[in-house]
Amino acid sequence: MGNFGQLMDGFVVALTVHHVMIMVIGVLLGLVVGVLPGLGAPNGVSLLLPLTFTMDPIAAIILLTSMYWGALFGGSTTSILFNIPGEPSSVATTFDGHPMAKRGEAVRALTLAFGSAGFGAMVGVVVITLLSGWVANFALQFGSPEYFAVYFMAFASFIGMAGGSPFKTLVCIMLGLAVGTVGMDTISGEGRLTFGITQLTNGISFLIVVIGLFGIGELLLTIDEGYKFDGVKAKLSLRVILRTLAELPRYWVTLLRSALIGCWMGITPGGPTAASFMSYALGRRFSRRGKYFGKGEPEGIVAPETADHSAGSCALLPMLALGVPGSATAAVMMGGLMIWGLSPGPMLFTTRPDFVWGLIASMYLGNVIAVVLVLATVPIFAWILRAPFTVVGPLIAIVCLIGAYTVSNHMFDIWVALAFGLVGYVFKKLDYPLAPFVLAVVLGDKAEDAFRQSMLSSGGSLSVFFEGSLVATMMGIGILLLSLPLLQIIFAALFRRGDSTDAGQTSRP
Amino acid sequence: MEISRKTMEVATAVVTGGVGALICYGSTENGIGWGPGGPEPGYFPFGIGCLIVLGSLATLVQTFWKHAGAHPAGAGAVPEEPFIDGTRLRLLVAFVLPIVAMTAISAWLGLYIGMGLYIFYTMRVSAGFRTLTSLAAALLVIAVNFVVFEKLFMVPLLKGPILEYFGIY
Repeated sequence: MGNFGQLMDGFVVALTVHHVMIMVIGVLLGLVVGVLPGLGAPNGVSLLLPLTFTMDPIAAIILLTSMYWGALFGGSTTSILFNIPGEPSSVATTFDGHPMAKRGEAVRALTLAFGSAGFGAMVGVVVITLLSGWVANFALQFGSPEYFAVYFMAFASFIGMAGGSPFKTLVCIMLGLAVGTVGMDTISGEGRLTFGITQLTNGISFLIVVIGLFGIGELLLTIDEGYKFDGVKAKLSLRVILRTLAELPRYWVTLLRSALIGCWMGITPGGPTAASFMSYALGRRFSRRGKYFGKGEPEGIVAPETADHSAGSCALLPMLALGVPGSATAAVMMGGLMIWGLSPGPMLFTTRPDFVWGLIASMYLGNVIAVVLVLATVPIFAWILRAPFTVVGPLIAIVCLIGAYTVSNHMFDIWVALAFGLVGYVFKKLDYPLAPFVLAVVLGDKAEDAFRQSMLSSGGSLSVFFEGSLVATMMGIGILLLSLPLLQIIFAALFRRGDSTDAGQTSRP
Repeated sequence: MEISRKTMEVATAVVTGGVGALICYGSTENGIGWGPGGPEPGYFPFGIGCLIVLGSLATLVQTFWKHAGAHPAGAGAVPEEPFIDGTRLRLLVAFVLPIVAMTAISAWLGLYIGMGLYIFYTMRVSAGFRTLTSLAAALLVIAVNFVVFEKLFMVPLLKGPILEYFGIY
């Protein structure tokens, strides 16, 4: 493990007063974003990204990742106190968190959530520390066919493992890819899919798409669902916090299992939301107290929170090492790296080790800071959330619109963001998955370039994707993933059993 | 007015299918075949468009299948929740229209004036605060945004003719 020395170098980079300050600011901003429904992690990072263009890349990525941690933690606060998930990935936390808070144990519920979330995040960061160098080294052998195979696998796993309608996922991925191709073609220099609209020549920025889909779309959804904030009051007492933290090791089985689920779902692009639901469902099945789940069971909080956060951190591993983000937020960050002039992927580890290891070191610190800050700020956010949504909503709307404008100072972008907002709202209500959409927008160009370069080298023969053993294996896995829904139907028809229903469907309460 | 989920599913699938067809059409302008140096620029988008059409058609079929299949079993079953009902639709429109109006005004008079008018409107009409309070809130929002964007991050927002007349660039 030669990574340890590099990690220490990373700590030297991250542990400056300037960077720690940035972490605190990032975590606080993230908490705001995570707590407010209608503002989520992907959207928050998109809004902040244009403001970091003038910053040093290391400071900028520390700011953005800290915001990400803050948002992940903030989402749980509202889930527990108000029964309103601030983030899609903390929906599963409401199942047991809110009942426990209603019983008068709000502080215990919050501490359980943040403690296990911190544990999950740490496991995730350790996994990144141990594996990223190795994955990057492995990926150095990749040529363009291998890269195309990796992208293919990422998209195929969305279709195969999303759980919803595979056709809807397909439509989302392809729409995302189409948005990515709008504008100047990188190889031939021709304008594509612009339909004579000059504003489209520069393409549609993924930031606009995210602000529309996740920001404005989520806002409309919030209005639609008519949120009323009537929360549980939380009075923090240090004694309860400490006692609960001491209680946490008792759930070590749940903690470990959930962390593993989270890591797996984070590295493969399943994402934190899927991870938390899966972990909750498995927790209910395997726990001895499974039948009490949903009534305020500690393990029902620990399971989704741990998985959510370990998935959230692990999603950054494939982004750094392969250039394939594991979640929507990671996709936005990867877009940021490219804007700062860094190309994510294995080469980043050799060209900018200070950047990579500084970032990884900042993840350790950022999560510790986040756990402390989130506990300390619970009363403030509980107070903010008592403001009526008729006041908060328009403020969020303004933030989104200005955010869309600042991407490249065009009013046209605001109209595009509004249009995507409508799309996001309709898609979300009809269970079209949005994360693959964003991933496809960010990866579209790279996937197409990889495909066309492989075609150029092979003289236009598709067999290049099945010649090397590595490519062939990856393409094979991809095709297998693609056919998973079909196989499920066949198996279900062969062994007709009525009781094999999914336990963790994404239904909003 | 109530919109059923089925209507919305069908409408969405038709729209995405239309977009797919549009993409197919648009990509033909770049050439969709195989040139001497591999695929032409329109090759990739054309495939994407086709897959969107395919996925949309499959979703359509799925929707009709599900609803056809649900009928005989659905004697006395709970009716499906609508996509949106009248009250919520009105709430939603009341929320969206001012945002659209703000964007249109901002394109003309600049973002600061747009956001000020919007906040004033929402505070006064939607939230029901007093005129003076709403006015103060609008001015506060403008001031905070001005300081954050123009001074702290040095990202200039669109000013529009009125602010420029007063010499604020």
